[in-house]
Amino acid sequence: MTLEDAVKETKAYYCLECGKCSGLCPVSRYNPAYSPRVMVEDALLGLEDDLVHNRQLFSCLTCYACSPKCPADVDYPLFMQKSRALAAKDGQQGDCAHSGVLQSLMRLMASPNLKQKRLEWLSNGHRTSDQSNVLYFVGCAPYFDPIFEDTGVKSLDVARDSLKILNSLGIAPKVLPNERCCGHDLLWTGDTENFRRLAELNAAAIKEAGVKKIIFSCAECYRTFKKDYPNYVKIDCELQHISEFLSEKIEKGELSFKEIKKKLTYHDPCRLGRHLGIYEPPRRVIESIPGIELVEMKDNRAESLCCGTSAFTNCDSCSKQIRVERLLQAKATGAESIITCCPKCQIHFRCAMVNKGEVKGPDVEIEVVDLVSLVAQALGGKSSE
Amino acid sequence: MNDSVLIVGGGIAGIQASIDLANMGFQVYLVEKSPSIGGRMAQLDKTFPTNDCAMCILAPKMIECYRHKNVKVLSYSEIAEVNGQLGNFQVKVLRKSRYIDETKCTGCGECAEKCPVVVKSEFEEGKGTRKAIYKPFAQAIPNLYVIAKRGTPPCKAACPAGVDAQGYVALISQGKFKEALELVRRRNPLPAVCGRVCTHPCETECNRGKLDQPIAIAALKRFVADYEVSMGTEDVTPVPRTKEEKIAVIGSGPAGLTVASDLVKMGYGVTVFEAMPQPGGMLSWGIPEYRLPKKALQTEIAGIQKLGVEIKLNSPVGKDGLTIDDLWEQGYKATFIGVGAQASMKLDVPGEELEGVYHGISFLRDVNLGEEVKVGKHVAIVGGGNVAIDAARTAHRLGAKEVFIVYRRSREEMPASEEEIEEAEHEGIKIHYLAAPVKILGKNGKVAGMECIRMELGEPDASGRRRPVPVKGSEFVIDADMIIPAIGQTSDLAFLPKKSQFQVSRRGTFEVDPISLATNVPGVFAGGDVVSGPATVVEAIAAGKRAALSIDCYLRGVPLPPEEEPLPTVKIEDIDTKDSERKNRVAMPTVPLKKRAHGFTEVNLGLSQEMAVEEAKRCLDCGICSWCRECEKACQAKAINHEMKEQYLDLNVGAIVLAIGLDLYDVSGLTEYGYGRIPNVITAMEYERLTSASGPTAGVLRRATDGKIPTNIAFIQCVGSRDFKNNPYCSSVCCMHATKEAILAYEHHPGTKSTIFYMDLRAVGKRFQEYVDRATKEYNVTYIRGRPGKIDANSNGNPIIWYEDTITGETKTFETEMVILCQALIPSRGIRELAGILGIKLDEHSFVEIPDKLWRPLDTTRPGVLACGYVHSPRDIPDSVAQASGTAARAAEVIAGGV
Repeated sequence: MTLEDAVKETKAYYCLECGKCSGLCPVSRYNPAYSPRVMVEDALLGLEDDLVHNRQLFSCLTCYACSPKCPADVDYPLFMQKSRALAAKDGQQGDCAHSGVLQSLMRLMASPNLKQKRLEWLSNGHRTSDQSNVLYFVGCAPYFDPIFEDTGVKSLDVARDSLKILNSLGIAPKVLPNERCCGHDLLWTGDTENFRRLAELNAAAIKEAGVKKIIFSCAECYRTFKKDYPNYVKIDCELQHISEFLSEKIEKGELSFKEIKKKLTYHDPCRLGRHLGIYEPPRRVIESIPGIELVEMKDNRAESLCCGTSAFTNCDSCSKQIRVERLLQAKATGAESIITCCPKCQIHFRCAMVNKGEVKGPDVEIEVVDLVSLVAQALGGKSSE
Repeated sequence: MNDSVLIVGGGIAGIQASIDLANMGFQVYLVEKSPSIGGRMAQLDKTFPTNDCAMCILAPKMIECYRHKNVKVLSYSEIAEVNGQLGNFQVKVLRKSRYIDETKCTGCGECAEKCPVVVKSEFEEGKGTRKAIYKPFAQAIPNLYVIAKRGTPPCKAACPAGVDAQGYVALISQGKFKEALELVRRRNPLPAVCGRVCTHPCETECNRGKLDQPIAIAALKRFVADYEVSMGTEDVTPVPRTKEEKIAVIGSGPAGLTVASDLVKMGYGVTVFEAMPQPGGMLSWGIPEYRLPKKALQTEIAGIQKLGVEIKLNSPVGKDGLTIDDLWEQGYKATFIGVGAQASMKLDVPGEELEGVYHGISFLRDVNLGEEVKVGKHVAIVGGGNVAIDAARTAHRLGAKEVFIVYRRSREEMPASEEEIEEAEHEGIKIHYLAAPVKILGKNGKVAGMECIRMELGEPDASGRRRPVPVKGSEFVIDADMIIPAIGQTSDLAFLPKKSQFQVSRRGTFEVDPISLATNVPGVFAGGDVVSGPATVVEAIAAGKRAALSIDCYLRGVPLPPEEEPLPTVKIEDIDTKDSERKNRVAMPTVPLKKRAHGFTEVNLGLSQEMAVEEAKRCLDCGICSWCRECEKACQAKAINHEMKEQYLDLNVGAIVLAIGLDLYDVSGLTEYGYGRIPNVITAMEYERLTSASGPTAGVLRRATDGKIPTNIAFIQCVGSRDFKNNPYCSSVCCMHATKEAILAYEHHPGTKSTIFYMDLRAVGKRFQEYVDRATKEYNVTYIRGRPGKIDANSNGNPIIWYEDTITGETKTFETEMVILCQALIPSRGIRELAGILGIKLDEHSFVEIPDKLWRPLDTTRPGVLACGYVHSPRDIPDSVAQASGTAARAAEVIAGGV
């Protein structure tokens, strides 16, 4: 792949250089040095060297705020993905957050001979079955908890609550003991080689499992399987995000909830929202719980604001400011909690609350809850058991 | 070759082409779909780059065109069909109905003064209002008014008597109570009665009910009737008798009273024969006092008597004494039978003869006539209609300890009015659904209880309601010492002679012609419950209206005129309700529960004047025109014709010029710019109206949020144009248009700072660049290169623009007081349909396709059909005018045989 291919594939050559993308980019808002328009301009001028060495190349959140509003219909996030692949070939990479441990972990998982103790979190209360046609794709949640211990995040609860919900619907799904990272972050930071390996390993494991349907609780895994895997491997299964799955069940009247008296707001993860256009199923699920009042933030659905960091890369003061802005939007609604469907959004929001920085910023404390944990609570019993 | 030319579209291009061709001696037909020629230019305040007053240039041209002896302007008209070919086109033109006689209207505007319906003005881009009868703008040509009718309002369509409900609601909203009552009385002689007891199908169909709650139409009608009484302004002038014939009406119920009052108004003599000592029929003794006070009823009837109707009480017409045949001998030329349905139907169960069984109608009659009626302690009413509810609430008032209703179906099927059921429950009356009596139990000849059986609902029966089926073995006994069966009524036809020649149905009702209501006996008509079986007051009134018309025709020996086909009923989807604030109906004040139990004072107290006006203002004006007919009264020239029909006109022309101009692109889809969400973000055309001296604010630009005159404003270019997802082309005029508006802002309010966000400034025209330079140097205008990404608003209502300055590459925010979006301009919205009719091709953006752009730049794909102005391609006014002159020359050329 060359830069010219990237320009063609993303229709970047249509760019009118109007600057609308920069005008609505959340990164540009806090980092005036970053301009999506200039990135495209560099490419169009053939300044490949400038582009791949631009320190801002990894700042894009690939949140798709710009592209749907682009008058020339340029797929800028995809252009970033392709340009980063070129940069990666040149040995460039973004600033890896958390000392790069997450990236190391992802690449580690790309090794075929890796032996994982991946299902240690399962307890006696959870029913899984090797015979099931349904696979629950867990994602990286089991690894996140120790890394983000300081933020108090419990991403494993998402996995446990998902199982609890499936079990309560009479489904004992299969979970893969050798599941790998979906590779989302590697793909979006230009490491296409390791992404391909992960995709192939997952595809092989799924084929061997012989399931017909895969349910995801992570918005990123879902996006990756749905949109990116088809370019690399063949997955012959029905794919569904758990919010879509639950929304269907609720419509059929197969789920009923006990009352939870709470005012909530919903944060659209970029991958589920703008990437896949799934805005209403999570809201339908939330609103079907009696007693809940769902209020919307100023920016919602297609206009939603990103949580501020993607692929654990270039997480800087700008990311922090975006996060704070989003949390202030949530607080302005008067909601008690912010619901989301992406473990990373949760991690980032919690991080913003814990690491307030040296100067005391505005009060951004608000409970962050994953959709499945809310649903599990509404099903009764204690959450995450 | 035909020497006439058809110009489609009366904007500046169409006007110029018309004048040019007319001056060359051609006969020109100028067809304009709106009520006035002038087009978009008429909406503009000034033109660039000279800042001339747009109307000052345009108006003389409009007049010249309209008055030219060779031009025939067909305004408010559309092209329906085009056949033939170059040199000989046959064109069918639809002349839409203005509902105003063009030859009589003087444009004086008295009608609009009186019109109660206020709607948004299209000409003012929704920033100003107009009336339902209107002239689009002061200088409109032709100088004629037009009535906007969207269709028949559902309230009117639903009313059996066809009362113009929207009309009187509109009049009430303007405080015109007297006029409102007059309007009701045109179709309904009993407003005080119907305002209280009508089942108001109008409210059921009211479109407002689909938003929140229907308009309280009945309560409003009652208000105007009561208002008249309370003001002591009842002003009934007897109608002079102009016709010799007199008519006998048997029965003084709603049907009889309507026939009588209508015929008296036509000049006939009418005598009403009433068997009872009080007039009103079922209204008088069937409906309890607490729902319809006798005083209100008698006042209303007295008004009808004052018109000239004679009512003879205690005068039964029947087999003993006075018979129908006697009426002929007494000189009556026609008879109307409206005796109603007054006999209670029997339950047909054992024990019905026991003491303590009191049939509903007799019960209500005896109470109403003031006879002493003793009620039991436990009273059971059988039935689910309004009579059952009336009997229950009456028994409750007479001191029964416990009153309950037994009904064999469920609440859903219950025929009584919902509010009556609610009031009954409110007063403590219990309703046992899905139960039916099997036997009335007795002890010493008196009622001691009632055996009932449970029912369940089966398949729907002939009435469409689900048929109740007894559940075997589910019998149970209820304790009761009085049973009031109220399961329906039939007509008592005992008054007819034994060997009557009248055709009577098996149900005991008169067989009549459904249109004329004539019985089989010539000169005898019948209507109301005696024909339909027990029905509503308003249906009886409707029958009375029909019978009066029919009797008049019969007496004059003319056939009944065919009924007018009404305009289609307006649906909620036809109405733009996005700006209608959700607001429930005004609650009707009622007598507190404690005070009700042992009295018969009226429960519903009626609306106050303020409440009535507030309630009436909720009306959505479904029909736009409300048929209140105030314009008819105001028009000295007698130009109004609410029944006017559209017409077709056939033309023969040699060539056709298409010049239908542009429409404004709807920018609310570009959500990032906040139009419709942020009040201080407006469109350029809205701005144009708001700064125009003739506009809704007389040229003073104020912010929607706080009324402040903004001194810092921003314009955004290319909103919806040069955009692949909206319109990829450049709209051509916006850079200069914005510059002009920025200059105007400064001129109106010196010191105003304007900022124009642009992609690249297109100043490609004579003196355009100088215009831009002047703007920056003399008028405090700044141009920023960059297409904004997003507009937010802060707590002051100030828009905050997020943008990248694409010259410096910096991303910034810009706070301003008002944002003006220069929306894309698109070919006029009707172009697709019109192109189909004209048989011409359009390009992918709906501009006219020009196959030979170099050598025949004004020719469309069909020979003899030419195009100019914006619909040809994006362009400004001078270009459109020049092109129009070109088209005129080309039309002359092709008619002369040039290719």
